[in-house]
Amino acid sequence: MMKRRDAISQIALLLGGAFTAPTLMAMDVRKGNTSIVAADFSLTDAQRQIVSAVAEHIIPRTSTPGAIDAGVPAFIEMMLKDCYKKPEHNSFLKGVSDLAKANFLAQPAAGQVAMLTLLEANTKDLMKSYSQKRIKVGDNVDKDTLEGANGVPFWRLMKELTLLGYYTSEKGIQASFIYEPVPGKFELITDMKPTQKSFVY
Amino acid sequence: MNLNIDAIKGQTFDAIVIGSGISGGWAAKELTEKGLKVAVLERGREIKHIEGYETAMKNPWEFDHRGRPTNMAAEEYWAGMRTGYTPAEEHRYLFENDKQNPYIEKKGGFDWIRAYHTGGKSLLWGRQTYRWNREDFLANEKEGVGTPWPIGYDDLAPWYSYVEKFAGISGQAEGLDVLPDSDFLPAMQMTAPEVHFKNAVNKKLGRPVTVGRVAHLTKPGKQHTDLGRSSCNYRNKCMRGCPYGAYFSSLSATLPAAMRTGRLTMIHNAIAAEIIYDESTQKAKGVRVIDQNTMESKEYFAKIIFVNAGAIGSTSILMNSKSNRYQNGLGNDSDQLGRNIMDHHLGAGASATIEGFEKDYMFGNRPNGLYIPRFQNWGKDKRSYSRGFGYQGGASREGWGRGVGADGFGAEFKESLTHPGQWTVGFGGFGEILPNPENRFVLGAQKDKWGLPILEFSASFGQNELQMREDMMNEAATMLEAAGFKNINAYNKQDTHIGLGIHEMGTARMGTSVKNSIVNKHNQVHEVKNVFMTDGAVMASASCVNPSLTYMAMTARAADFAVNELKKRNL
Ligand SMILES: Cc1cc2nc3c(=O)[nH]c(=O)nc-3n(C[C@H](O)[C@H](O)[C@H](O)COP(=O)(O)OP(=O)(O)OC[C@H]3O[C@@H](n4cnc5c(N)ncnc54)[C@H](O)[C@@H]3O)c2cc1C
Ligand code: SF4
Repeated sequence: MMKRRDAISQIALLLGGAFTAPTLMAMDVRKGNTSIVAADFSLTDAQRQIVSAVAEHIIPRTSTPGAIDAGVPAFIEMMLKDCYKKPEHNSFLKGVSDLAKANFLAQPAAGQVAMLTLLEANTKDLMKSYSQKRIKVGDNVDKDTLEGANGVPFWRLMKELTLLGYYTSEKGIQASFIYEPVPGKFELITDMKPTQKSFVY
Repeated sequence: MNLNIDAIKGQTFDAIVIGSGISGGWAAKELTEKGLKVAVLERGREIKHIEGYETAMKNPWEFDHRGRPTNMAAEEYWAGMRTGYTPAEEHRYLFENDKQNPYIEKKGGFDWIRAYHTGGKSLLWGRQTYRWNREDFLANEKEGVGTPWPIGYDDLAPWYSYVEKFAGISGQAEGLDVLPDSDFLPAMQMTAPEVHFKNAVNKKLGRPVTVGRVAHLTKPGKQHTDLGRSSCNYRNKCMRGCPYGAYFSSLSATLPAAMRTGRLTMIHNAIAAEIIYDESTQKAKGVRVIDQNTMESKEYFAKIIFVNAGAIGSTSILMNSKSNRYQNGLGNDSDQLGRNIMDHHLGAGASATIEGFEKDYMFGNRPNGLYIPRFQNWGKDKRSYSRGFGYQGGASREGWGRGVGADGFGAEFKESLTHPGQWTVGFGGFGEILPNPENRFVLGAQKDKWGLPILEFSASFGQNELQMREDMMNEAATMLEAAGFKNINAYNKQDTHIGLGIHEMGTARMGTSVKNSIVNKHNQVHEVKNVFMTDGAVMASASCVNPSLTYMAMTARAADFAVNELKKRNL
């Protein structure tokens, strides 16, 4: 859109929209800030089952491929390992273990959906409380000390990484959008139908 | 003995250009086209046009982390991380690793974003291209700030025109004093909500809004196609390098033009360490370089030297060029070398959502947005601070990313994200920074792996910038409101530094005398007249518009002068 992606992520942030965590917090990276050291991260098979099930709830297989078809569960684990640090590793593992304790996988589908709906509502409240705290203490406070130390909540990580993993995968893009890597022109459309698929470039 | 002479011959040229970025590319083109044998000394590796753009044609799923920087990258590109985008997976290969190329922040912060390879930052720039206006050259003198410019708009105007025609600038002529028109190729289109915004802001606030002026070929001419350049394909993946040569870069435009003269020698991996000063002639006789891989030291000789290593790079080369006569850095009698670092400050503005326009959409990814020229302290408008800012931004429809913050999941949610979302809009200011001699860098005591001093920066915003930022935020909100947009969010990022605009400049400024500046009105180092500086280093003030077009114009002008002086045997 414009010269500075910066402004775009600002919009995303302020609209409560897109991307959390490293990408945004990264903007505040100070030289030598290694206070939150990267650690190894991996899931057990039991944990993987939960992650797969949750991802598939977010993007289920319908007439088009779902999260599992698009390899999203493995993508999430890899992203957590490579791109996130200890606080997110902790919050993510805590989220998985909460679901395990609640016997998530043993629930019927409707029960699982109900649990995740509740989790989403709780997560929203939690994130609101983080950001209220931040507004109170002021913008200049290192986010490490607030949401940073708590880690981005499990549900938010799951949702973000599932959407990212799916809608940028080959299967997800081909099934969801009109993929035009070389559009060749810029043209205004003035009679868009509600069925219009997004263009992805 | 013979061998030696041959070697020196092989290392002797009419002109040396240090750096192959935007300004160095222009120097190489102009000097070779005027008949000189030119060597370009480039510190970085060679990147070949088209085949060197290794990520240009990759699909989104071919990036392991789908574009996100890894923890490892975040640590190595720590300065880049502050921009939030330069270390992204798709174009990281064109930016410098900050850990391998360390610098030190002494006081405040400084974001030094570097690109060491053929073409320098010309491969990465945002291509936003604006002429300075008449007042920009006069403000220092009128306000008693910094040092007066020895040149004015009229000195550059013909050269603006000259470089614009070759580079290819798309834009809309508006006839504004504050933002003089360029020689334009056809403008890119505005979207429907953008047209609405433009009209509302114009009618209610009397402010013009125009489509961004960009160095993209919307309708190439022969001078462009002759170099193998073609029309923009609206992919907006420009920072990966453009296989169509559709945007202006050294690789797509100036270096091929220089190459076809048969008089250009490109020397890569050659870090210019110092300019060799000849006490007897009071001129520079050559440049000592260090091979970045072999560490070998080598000298190249020429009648004239163009220093185009980027503002900080060029300045540090002069600092490092010490002789009996210049113990404090070449041409540094004024002690201004390294001082007055400027940039454009950004990170303040507003965003909103737009209701309606459901039937409007667009095909193609426009590599451009809108521009709102400076209106503060212009004409009758007076503010509590001096100078001003312009805005860049635009409107677009949300994609799947909106799902991250939205409620819901499951089949319906999944389907809904395959359609365009609502329109959103945002504008961020680019503000002028005043020259301040205390905002500076020096050569530090520590050495890098090539034995060159590591630079130490001290820089911070002054009251003028801080006041302006408040206004940048508020006025953006006012305009979005005037257009009837909803959910307006105004922001003013506090944790930002000089340098984040990646328009670093001012550290070897142009001025009226050797007492107040480093170069004269012809871009010659005052008393070392065969050394020319034509990049951001020479800026005596910053204006608020993106700077590169002015570097291009200045370079072409200085090259013309230099060759005439050579002919007159004045150099
Ligand atoms: C992401 C981004 C967006 C930008 N957007 C815009 C924009 O929209 N509009 C605009 O006008 N400007 C923009 N800029 C700024 C623009 O890129 C610079 O103003 C421009 O490239 C400066 O040209 P230059 O020749 O001075 O330096 P550069 O293009 O940086 O080139 C300097 C060259 O010198 C080489 N070098 C450095 N030191 C040495 C040495 N010691 N020896 C030999 N070689 C050396 C480097 O390797 C490099 O190749 C942007 C920059 C970035 C990174
Ligand atoms: S938008 Fe135009 S200039 Fe940018 S990469 Fe695509 S074709 Fe090249």
